[in-house]
Amino acid sequence: MSGEEGRVSLKGIRKKFGSFEALKGIDLQIGPREFFALLGPSGSGKSTTLRVIAGLEPPDDGTMTVDGVDVTYASPGERNIAMVFQSYALYPHMTLAENIGFPLKMDKVPKAEIPGLVRAAAEKVKIDHLLERRPGQLSGGQQQRCALARAIVRQPRLFLLDEPLSNLDAQLRLETRIELKRLHSGMDVTTIYVTHDQEEAMTIADRMAIFRDGEIIQIGTPDEVFNRPDNMDVAGFIGSPPMNLLPATLSDGGVLVSRRRVADAAGYEASASDVVLGIRPSHLRLASDGLPARLLLSENLGESMLLNVEVDGEIVKVRLPEVRHLKLGEELHLAFDPEHIHLFDPTTRRRIDRARGQHQL
Amino acid sequence: MAANPHIAARRRRNVLLYVASAVILVVWAFPILWAVLVSLKSETEVLAYPPRAIFEPTLRNYVDALVGGFSILKSFTTSFIISTATTVLTILFAVPAAYAFARLRLPGKRTIGFYTLVTQMIPPVGLVIPYFLILNRIGWLDTYQGMVTVFLTFSLPFAIWLMVSYMEDIPKEMEEAAFLDKANRFQALWHIILPQVRGGIAVTVIFVFLNAWNEFLFAVQLGGNKVRPVTVAMYNFVSVEQTLWAKLAAAALIAMLPMIVIGIAAQKQIVKGLTVGAVKGGGRR
Repeated sequence: MSGEEGRVSLKGIRKKFGSFEALKGIDLQIGPREFFALLGPSGSGKSTTLRVIAGLEPPDDGTMTVDGVDVTYASPGERNIAMVFQSYALYPHMTLAENIGFPLKMDKVPKAEIPGLVRAAAEKVKIDHLLERRPGQLSGGQQQRCALARAIVRQPRLFLLDEPLSNLDAQLRLETRIELKRLHSGMDVTTIYVTHDQEEAMTIADRMAIFRDGEIIQIGTPDEVFNRPDNMDVAGFIGSPPMNLLPATLSDGGVLVSRRRVADAAGYEASASDVVLGIRPSHLRLASDGLPARLLLSENLGESMLLNVEVDGEIVKVRLPEVRHLKLGEELHLAFDPEHIHLFDPTTRRRIDRARGQHQL
Repeated sequence: MAANPHIAARRRRNVLLYVASAVILVVWAFPILWAVLVSLKSETEVLAYPPRAIFEPTLRNYVDALVGGFSILKSFTTSFIISTATTVLTILFAVPAAYAFARLRLPGKRTIGFYTLVTQMIPPVGLVIPYFLILNRIGWLDTYQGMVTVFLTFSLPFAIWLMVSYMEDIPKEMEEAAFLDKANRFQALWHIILPQVRGGIAVTVIFVFLNAWNEFLFAVQLGGNKVRPVTVAMYNFVSVEQTLWAKLAAAALIAMLPMIVIGIAAQKQIVKGLTVGAVKGGGRR
């Protein structure tokens, strides 16, 4: 496959199911060979978007192009797309070899060439010893590999994955994640990956689009969405646990939480004095002086610790880099570096940025 | 050693179950067993009172019913032609129709589906005269095409609805995967759907064939001397002067034979077909 193929563009894609607006105008540009994740909670529109890309769901409005060619209403077969379904959708009455060979048979590949191609695809995902079995005789992980093999057996222009790991157990999920990444780099095919697991998206994707209620609320690299969330919804979704969001006020050139000045407000272009302060659990630390907090629950994660504390009626999560023995109900003080805070407008829910040139104190 | 009360209770339950099954089976099978006995007796023996359990069995009645003066062989062939044609045509039409009901987005699909089913609610006896008049008008009385067409009006709605439920059991994604694999609708139906509803097709074939084979009401009204199914032909043994019970029994048993053979051959498929979808994930069809 040559270098610049597999550029996908969606413009103003809308889709209604009855009165339910599943997609409210999706705009997306996905580059060649990119590993792109569609991330969001269930019902947010990510799967519908993937189905529109696959041609399984015609949009009500908007256009989709692949490499500049309009394919908005092209049939799935015309798009040269391979897809792995969440349920794998293996054909239960066929052997693995027949399953993997099915796209080749439909594509009228000469009969003599099929077994070799099937074997090669099966070898890539290490199921070549199971080719004579039927899907019902395989474990979940093996079925998943078979679905992958069926997708990679021909040279698709786009590779779509719909929650491919969600039916696997935790251990296998981690292994398969790495393998998917390896497969992708070996194939050089634009890959679009739907998941509700933000950790999965963060670790596997080059870029991602975060969905909420039929809209994309941010597009960016894992770095960007983690370190510079565009709005409170992204901030409250990315990270495990996600960012703490606390009510705060701007006054006298300072950011106040629980009437305590926690940062310099100079340069923030806020329109109102009420704001929301975001701070990652890992950026909080225990100190002798700082925000007063009371310990509600502590979770020992082995090499780190997750605390649930109460600050002025709000639950705040704190990740400590080491395990400490703390008593429930203990009074603590929380401190953080002002440079780690994010400010959001509580009405628009959007990020409040600092004016240029004033990024550091 | 004290008996485990649970095992004892289970054993009691099993015994009850066997007794109940045996009673039901005897009631159910009695007419057939009686027919077997009668068919092996001579006509005089049949009328002996009280009936004798021990007698000299004879195959005379079978020979008469097959090649004798009242031979049912021709009717047997007629029944076979009608039932086979009805079954083949039913499957040919019902499979694509069921697929359309199960999968396609059609305007008025629910309405069409409903009225397909409504035809099953009309008492057949109310249709006999209209059908007679229609066939008479177009000259199809006592013809194969007339009989088969009328039988199709009953078998098709039934077969379509039976097949719809089997097709709906197949996850949509499986077909979508086939579309992405560059299969068109026909190929998806042929390669993906049909192999998976084999059990359902077998069940449908049996029901349709059975109904066509057993049909009497329409056969007696719409048939005649040329096209006379075996169910009608058997009535030759019943006349005003006498009823040839032994020959009637032999003929009836011969007429049952194809159904028994098909039933045994397809037993596995039927049981599989009827239980598919009972459990989520359903296992393999």
